[in-house]
Amino acid sequence: MRFNKRLGVLAGVAVAALFLVACGGNQSSSSTDTKTWSRMEGDVISSMDSAVVTDAISGQALVDTMDGLYRYAGSDLQPAMASKIVTPTNDGKTYTFKLRDAKWSNGDPVTAQDFVFAWKRAIDPKTKSQYAYLFSGIVNADDIMAGKKAASTLGVKAIDDKTFEVTLDHAIPYFGTMMVNPVFFPQNQKVVEKAGKNYGTNSDNIVSNGPFILKNWNGTGNSWNEVKNKDYWNAKNVKLNKINVQVIKDPSTAMNLYQSGKLDDATLSGAQAAQAKTMKDVTALKQATTFYLELNEKKTPALKNEKLRQAISMSLNRKEFIDKVLQDSSVAPTGLVPENLAKNPTTGEDFSKEAAKTTSQYTKYDKTEAKKLWSEGLKETNVKSLNLELLTDDTDVAKKSSEYFQSALEDLPGLKLTISSVPFKTRLTRSQNGQFDMVISAWGADFPDPITFLDMFTSSNSYNNGKWSNADYDKLIADSKGKDATNPEARWNDLLKAQEILTKEQGIIPIYQRAQTHLVNKKMHDLQYSPANMYNFVNAYLK
Amino acid sequence: MIKYILKRVGYLILTLFLVASITFFLMKLLPGTPFNNPKLPPDQIEALKAQYGLDKPVWQQYLSYMLGLLHGDMGMSFQFSGQSVSYLIMSRIGPSLQLGLQAMILGTLLGILLGAVAAIRKNTWVDSVATIFAILGRSIPNFVFAALLQFFLAYKLRLFPIALWDGFSSSILPTIALAMAPLANTARFMRTEMVDVLNSDYIELARSKGETRWQTVANHALRNSMIPIVTIIGPMAVDLMVGSLVVENVFAIPGIGEQFVKSITTNDYPVIMGLTIMYSFMLTVVILIVDILYGVIDPRIRLNEEAN
Repeated sequence: MRFNKRLGVLAGVAVAALFLVACGGNQSSSSTDTKTWSRMEGDVISSMDSAVVTDAISGQALVDTMDGLYRYAGSDLQPAMASKIVTPTNDGKTYTFKLRDAKWSNGDPVTAQDFVFAWKRAIDPKTKSQYAYLFSGIVNADDIMAGKKAASTLGVKAIDDKTFEVTLDHAIPYFGTMMVNPVFFPQNQKVVEKAGKNYGTNSDNIVSNGPFILKNWNGTGNSWNEVKNKDYWNAKNVKLNKINVQVIKDPSTAMNLYQSGKLDDATLSGAQAAQAKTMKDVTALKQATTFYLELNEKKTPALKNEKLRQAISMSLNRKEFIDKVLQDSSVAPTGLVPENLAKNPTTGEDFSKEAAKTTSQYTKYDKTEAKKLWSEGLKETNVKSLNLELLTDDTDVAKKSSEYFQSALEDLPGLKLTISSVPFKTRLTRSQNGQFDMVISAWGADFPDPITFLDMFTSSNSYNNGKWSNADYDKLIADSKGKDATNPEARWNDLLKAQEILTKEQGIIPIYQRAQTHLVNKKMHDLQYSPANMYNFVNAYLK
Repeated sequence: MIKYILKRVGYLILTLFLVASITFFLMKLLPGTPFNNPKLPPDQIEALKAQYGLDKPVWQQYLSYMLGLLHGDMGMSFQFSGQSVSYLIMSRIGPSLQLGLQAMILGTLLGILLGAVAAIRKNTWVDSVATIFAILGRSIPNFVFAALLQFFLAYKLRLFPIALWDGFSSSILPTIALAMAPLANTARFMRTEMVDVLNSDYIELARSKGETRWQTVANHALRNSMIPIVTIIGPMAVDLMVGSLVVENVFAIPGIGEQFVKSITTNDYPVIMGLTIMYSFMLTVVILIVDILYGVIDPRIRLNEEAN
């Protein structure tokens, strides 16, 4: 019968075709080019509209292809579209940015009007930006977000084509560092309005004023290219011709691709990160994200006792936890504010290192001291034993972490922990509603300034889930925003003291500062990584 | 026959309507909002909900979604700002469909072959090897195959690309990894059915008429053993074509598989709806096709239907 003969022939052809094509494949390596860099991301670009982007992947693509007022070169804030770093006038409330001569990739000049347009667009509730709240503090911003005033009333104006002026309600000492966030980037009004709701949905309907131009991005795809922008104002310092980006989610695939020369920079996690730590190309990129334990002092008043909280902190061997459980390049923290976030305005010393000088003992593993403090604390609070629930995410890492904490903390006599693993969103809701005894939380910086962390633990802040409260702390934070706002040194000392109080009292218990493990091709030089957790590819070169 | 098909299409539309409605209301029970920035102040979340119409009562949202659907509008994605759900699906389903089809063809053809050989050589070493192969294919998850294939054939031996979606050669390893399950499934069903068929009277008759063993298999047994295979092929095909989260991740393929999972974890309501409706549509259509195919393979079924 013909039926099955055909079937047999088909099968034969299919199998033969598979192997013929396979063996004919050309497997030559592509990394001989000295001006092309191949890197990966863990997920896709969600949008190239700088007004709505909140994720790090789209953020990196925008930092590569657009220039805001300032740009980070490593941890140095440098002028980009602005011709210099601006010192505010009028008690820190007025910023007058003089723009340099620069062009969009369609030939239009970049003007102050592009900033006015972009900012008013971003804060307009109709744009649905999830970063609109970063504009808070600019004149009328809060009323616009609340729908009480029109977006056109925002306190920004173009004095002339090259002068952009911003007026604030009150001095914001970290306003400058926020300018590196894409939501503050300029937008070309003509292009945005022409594209309408399609603006930023693929590489054809955007224009760039940055070091690279995005190519071959279809809006949802797993790969894209960034090619050098010849019209960039600083093009002479852009030494790479092309950056290829590929979405890779599986760390062992990333490792295999790196080792066979298909990737120049691989991001690893889990077992591959542990393996990478023994290799010579490994680099740890410290992230501005701290993981910490919150103790619910409202639900369990005994936890208001400082000694009990210190005992819990000192029972944790953070280094062992990172080596055994996380297995990556994360860092044992000495306080809430992570390393490499901010530098002392006069001495240049790292904030977390400076604060740790007087308080490092409170995050140091010391079992004897912990047990001593614990029994003293129990006596002071008149409590015999504590049964607490540890709330965590239901991811693998979170589960393993909580098991580690459970076994470490149950060494404290009378402490019993039960683990409750829930989905991320349930964890957030329960934290906010105070439905927990102990919870593993995390916070990443919106902009590189200690206040983005320290602000959370004032008594009335809605992110202070554990309700730790200290009047001196509240006053220091208020001073840093009020009377010391225009005095960088006094402000620095306020924040430093606040971190010292928080660490001494263990108002929250820091667990680790996240770091990404990367394998990076050794031929790369001068590739900088900013406190905002973005690469800067200007100046980077291959040799 | 035409009346039969029309009736079935009617059921298909009803099924889709029910699936869409049930999914819509279940989905609204998911905790959280599509606005995943944990730093977003609560008043901003409320403002965003109002902008997207998520502050309205659920039945109103349901009505406006269903009305949109009637016009072919599946809404806009939350995660991909400015992208319509239909574009998201269209731009990412290609690789998943291709891999699914290739895996389906490779898996069923080899499965039929393996099952048939095992049945003909019943209780010999050939049968044992085929059975072991089928059990392994059933019990080892495809991402393990994927990782093993990638490590040995691509990384060590450099016969294939390690990953990435670049031409036919990059589709071979994921196809093989995905084909293992249908291969094993088909082989098991084929063997069982073939053993039955080979023991039946008409095979005896054919043999007694002087046909060789291979002739009887080719002319009679194979076709008659196909009925259960056709039954499982439908759901298996849909399962493969809607993409596999893990295999797509291991080979870094820009498919649709992971989008479904991601849309649920990020409360991307329109994408959840769009993909659910598409999957149900594919499944119901395939079941319809399978039902029609039964008649082609076994005329007795068609006669029965018509008699009814």
